[in-house]
Amino acid sequence: MEPQFLLAKAKDEELAKKGECGGAVSALFKYLLDQQLVDGVLTLTRGEDVYDGIPTLVENSEEIVETCGSLHCAPTMFGDLISKHLNDIRLAVSVKPCDAMAIKELEKRHQINPDAIYKIGLNCGGTVMPITARKMIEMFYDVDPAEVVAEEIDKGKFIIELADGTHKSVEIDELEEKGFGRRNNCQRCELKIPRNADLACGNWGAEPGWTFIEVVTEKGKTLVENARKNGYIDVKTPSEKAIAIREKIENVMIKLARKFQDKYLEEDYPAPENWDEYWNRCIKCYACRDVCPICFCKECDLEKDFYTDEDEIAPDPLTFQGVRLSHMCFSCVNCGQCEDVCPMEIPLARIFHRMQKKYRDDTGFIAGVSEELPPLYSPEKE
Amino acid sequence: MSEEDVKIVGFCCNWCCYGGADTAGTARMQYPPNVRILRVMCSGRINPSMVLKAFKEGADGVFVGGCHMGDCHYDAGNYKWNRRAKLVEELLPEFGIERERFRFEWISASEGEKFQETMKEFADTIKSIGPLKRSTPQISTQAKFTAKI
Ligand SMILES: Cc1cc2nc3c(=O)[nH]c(=O)nc-3n(C[C@H](O)[C@H](O)[C@H](O)COP(=O)(O)OP(=O)(O)OC[C@H]3O[C@@H](n4cnc5c(N)ncnc54)[C@H](O)[C@@H]3O)c2cc1C
Ligand code: SF4
Ligand code: SF4
Ligand code: SF4
Ligand code: FES
Repeated sequence: MEPQFLLAKAKDEELAKKGECGGAVSALFKYLLDQQLVDGVLTLTRGEDVYDGIPTLVENSEEIVETCGSLHCAPTMFGDLISKHLNDIRLAVSVKPCDAMAIKELEKRHQINPDAIYKIGLNCGGTVMPITARKMIEMFYDVDPAEVVAEEIDKGKFIIELADGTHKSVEIDELEEKGFGRRNNCQRCELKIPRNADLACGNWGAEPGWTFIEVVTEKGKTLVENARKNGYIDVKTPSEKAIAIREKIENVMIKLARKFQDKYLEEDYPAPENWDEYWNRCIKCYACRDVCPICFCKECDLEKDFYTDEDEIAPDPLTFQGVRLSHMCFSCVNCGQCEDVCPMEIPLARIFHRMQKKYRDDTGFIAGVSEELPPLYSPEKE
Repeated sequence: MSEEDVKIVGFCCNWCCYGGADTAGTARMQYPPNVRILRVMCSGRINPSMVLKAFKEGADGVFVGGCHMGDCHYDAGNYKWNRRAKLVEELLPEFGIERERFRFEWISASEGEKFQETMKEFADTIKSIGPLKRSTPQISTQAKFTAKI
């Protein structure tokens, strides 16, 4: 369908107030639960502090208010949570573009039922690792990370709020130049507006107190219309100027991501000798595979005895990551999870993302975005 | 190991390329003894992990031969392999293995001469780049082998 743009705001005052922008996302969730169109909503709630995002299944619409707001220091992944644990219920979920990409690949592989899920997309400029966030707040803001009560990303700045209401901000560019800021995979990520979800919600182009929504699918369109008719949200049309501003910011972000791709995947890309050093560190804990949303096989080749050697401490990279790469690199959605969990700090997402980019250049297949399965799975004579 | 001793693993599909090797053999066309042939039913049976495994076990070059497009006895096997082969070509350099160490070709059962030529060319290429030197694994294949007995 033709994309449709609108501004939305929760009618419920508490949701409107607590929501990151207009609380529209929360209001849509409340509507879906109240009308029993879904059995549960998968979102993120804030745990002990701003660095702690806990995936939460909300079944009672009264509790939605507790999930309001954006957590930028919580690089979670909802794709395999759904395919592994929530596949038997009708679900609505808030998704960053990488969540939506993983879900899309899992849908194509029949691991998630697309008819049983509402994907409410959130635009995403990137997430920061909790540990990085704490360190940089100490170093660049001169603040005890425990004192931070809220954080936000706005106009290229990472902003923190303290208990006494004061704000401190530092340019993300500056943080990243010094090796802090957003995760490396986020810096490289080109999908800023999740047009692979039903709706794409964000603050770009929005007026204060409103959420800007790009309606992507018919399902999303019906949802917004019915939520409005039933008194859950107010809706108005954004100005031409607002739409243009949003598009402009998106393009700037995409350009920046391409620059980071060149840096991380070409200019500063580790040479094979450096990779050998990385691979030598591997303790074969399988965390990278376990956390990867695309690696869903019940029986994994990496545990077959013809590819493993018990007396090898670091596994031979050819039959460890090489085999994993050969199975799924073309479908890598660059979510960064493998790299985040690796206890030996091996920059895994770089090699997977680079391979998917090459595959994309060769075949046109974009993991997490293309409607069809990767051409490698095709049975056709072509 | 001298250049002459390079090891090449050749996966050949039963219906065409293996037949081509056979034709070369019966006609007494010499091809380099470096090539060790493994017969598979179809090139569509080969997946990239098998090529990786061959390199891990000490191959200096890997060859895969299937039927010409349109001639696969299982209809689309060689089309499927062709797509995987492109991925192998991209993957090997990531592990410091030169692209030239991997080759795939379509050879029919009657093409004994093409088989011979291809093997000669490929063996020459591998000899000129020399044996594959890898810094990993730390334990040599030989040590692993003795450890297991
Ligand atoms: C990490 C991140 C980066 C963002 N960057 C941009 C940006 O650059 N440009 C832009 O236009 N918009 C961005 N957004 C979207 C924006 O912050 C709002 O989420 C969006 O406008 C919806 O506002 P709302 O008031 O309707 O949402 P709310 O009603 O507050 O609902 C937000 C929902 O998102 C869930 N959520 C919070 N954090 C996460 C997370 N990390 N992963 C998954 N779900 C989460 C919450 O649980 C809640 O259900 C970002 C959001 C996140 C989470
Ligand atoms: S390989 Fe890593 S970055 Fe790619 S999809 Fe899997 S976990 Fe995400
Ligand atoms: S490495 Fe391969 S076999 Fe193992 S889970 Fe991933 S895709 Fe499946
Ligand atoms: S997470 Fe890191 S250490 Fe663990 S198996 Fe993967 S690469 Fe090796
Ligand atoms: S039978 Fe020869 S390639 Fe399939």
